[in-house]
Amino acid sequence: MSVGTIAPRAEFAHSAETGHAWSQTMAMSKRSIIAIVRQPALIIPSLIFPLFFAALGSSSFSRATQLPGFPKVDSFLALTLAASVLQGVIFGSVTGGAALAVDIETGFFDRLLASPTSRVSILVGRLAGNALFGSVEALFFTLVMIPFGVNIRSGPAGVAVITVAGGLIGLGIGGFMAAMALRTGSAEAVQGIFPLLFVSMFFSSAFFPRETMKGVYRSIANYNPLSHLYEGMRDLVITGWSFDAVLKSLLIPIAIGCVSIPLALLALRRRLRAA
Amino acid sequence: MTSTFANAPATRATTSRAASGLMMRGLRTITRLPSAFFPAMLMPIFQCVAFSGTFFAITHVPGFPTDRSINWFMPLGVLMGSAFAGVGLGFSLIRDLETGFFDRLRMSPAPRNSLVLGPMYAAWFRSLIVTAVVTAVGFALGARLTGGLLGLVMLFGGSLGIATVATGWGLGLAFLFQDMRGAAIMQLGLFISMFLSTAQAPLSVMTGWLHGVATLNPITNILRMSRQGFVNHTVNGHTVGAGVTWHDTWGGLLAIVALSAAAVLFARRGLNKLDA
Repeated sequence: MSVGTIAPRAEFAHSAETGHAWSQTMAMSKRSIIAIVRQPALIIPSLIFPLFFAALGSSSFSRATQLPGFPKVDSFLALTLAASVLQGVIFGSVTGGAALAVDIETGFFDRLLASPTSRVSILVGRLAGNALFGSVEALFFTLVMIPFGVNIRSGPAGVAVITVAGGLIGLGIGGFMAAMALRTGSAEAVQGIFPLLFVSMFFSSAFFPRETMKGVYRSIANYNPLSHLYEGMRDLVITGWSFDAVLKSLLIPIAIGCVSIPLALLALRRRLRAA
Repeated sequence: MTSTFANAPATRATTSRAASGLMMRGLRTITRLPSAFFPAMLMPIFQCVAFSGTFFAITHVPGFPTDRSINWFMPLGVLMGSAFAGVGLGFSLIRDLETGFFDRLRMSPAPRNSLVLGPMYAAWFRSLIVTAVVTAVGFALGARLTGGLLGLVMLFGGSLGIATVATGWGLGLAFLFQDMRGAAIMQLGLFISMFLSTAQAPLSVMTGWLHGVATLNPITNILRMSRQGFVNHTVNGHTVGAGVTWHDTWGGLLAIVALSAAAVLFARRGLNKLDA
């Protein structure tokens, strides 16, 4: 009897705990999204700068598309769509990481810890916000570029994959940013990692194809996972639907997330231990 | 009237002394607050390395005036570094305004012109450091002078010119906003105006809207003047020679003089408004 009574209670307690964790994660995600929406000054650069660079690149480098090594494209803008998504999501992830660091700096993080909140939901909520913003950015860049002559050869399904990939990139890069924020507790330190990410974009095929590079640059670009991620998304735009392109677009950010999210969890555990 | 004339050399001497003092203070922050100066040094180096490697293929486009991408992108890095060294003085001024140090300067008997000239001298010195380092890195990465030593003089001249413009712009915005909002506009304004020029590709290679904008943008003239020692002269896609020419110089000089005058006037008027 007693066993029969206790078992359902334990089960109930477990499911209630899971339910609480889920609702807390949702609340934290909602908070991080509202924080983004409420501070347009923080997100506008991540939307405007990639478009500015895309517009610049299409005017400066459009004649380069006739060179050997460039894939056949209608316009240079079609080549830059994937790069714009990458740039925008990286910008946005840095902003998300910096917001977490600001929570730590202002003491809000400590108040969360003092409340009966699931610890993991603090991190997962923030990353979910990043992922959603990444998807929105990817869709935004795609929709903005279509009227300017970018023809997505893989159709609406390709747009959907690019949108999901934007979210996954936000999750993966956001994991690194969250790890940095939790480890240092400094928004300045999180912002300081941005040049490193930006450099890694330049040492990839995000701006010019690998085939046009030579020497050390080409070797680095060959090993840089961002090159393969970019090429997957780029192929969905300029070539059409292919299993290989979809796999590259989705699996590489997942792989990045598999490294970054455990790092963020580790940083969270360290911070909790220190608190 | 007579006393004004009699006092003029003394005033000039005082202005010069006060400006030199402020310049030394501006230079001391390089060692005391390296995080405020070194990004301005590292960013152009990164730009040289990244742009010349990534956009290497652009040199194969017919009409591109050099076959070395570093020759094209190194002067851009130098000018960008000098510009950011200049706006760095704007950041310092914002800090001084926020901490109240600038109010103490205003209450001192230092001539008003020295409060603009001092940071300007510091910016020139910083610009020379940035130009020397980035040029050295550029040469190490394979940049070669095609226009002789005069080409190097043009690069240093362009660099000092853009530092003057950027400092005036930075000081003017700092006086206007008096907080860090001004810093964002300083950087953004410079960044955008520099990229809306021949920063990435020459006019002969550009297409579309940017061609028109870059043709009108005076920064294009400054870049042309600064780059001429590193690129060939081309007509209709054919190389017709190399070297420094008056044709590629006068536009840059005119742009530097006009933009510097406008920027310094903007800074001086900002200071006057602060005093009012």
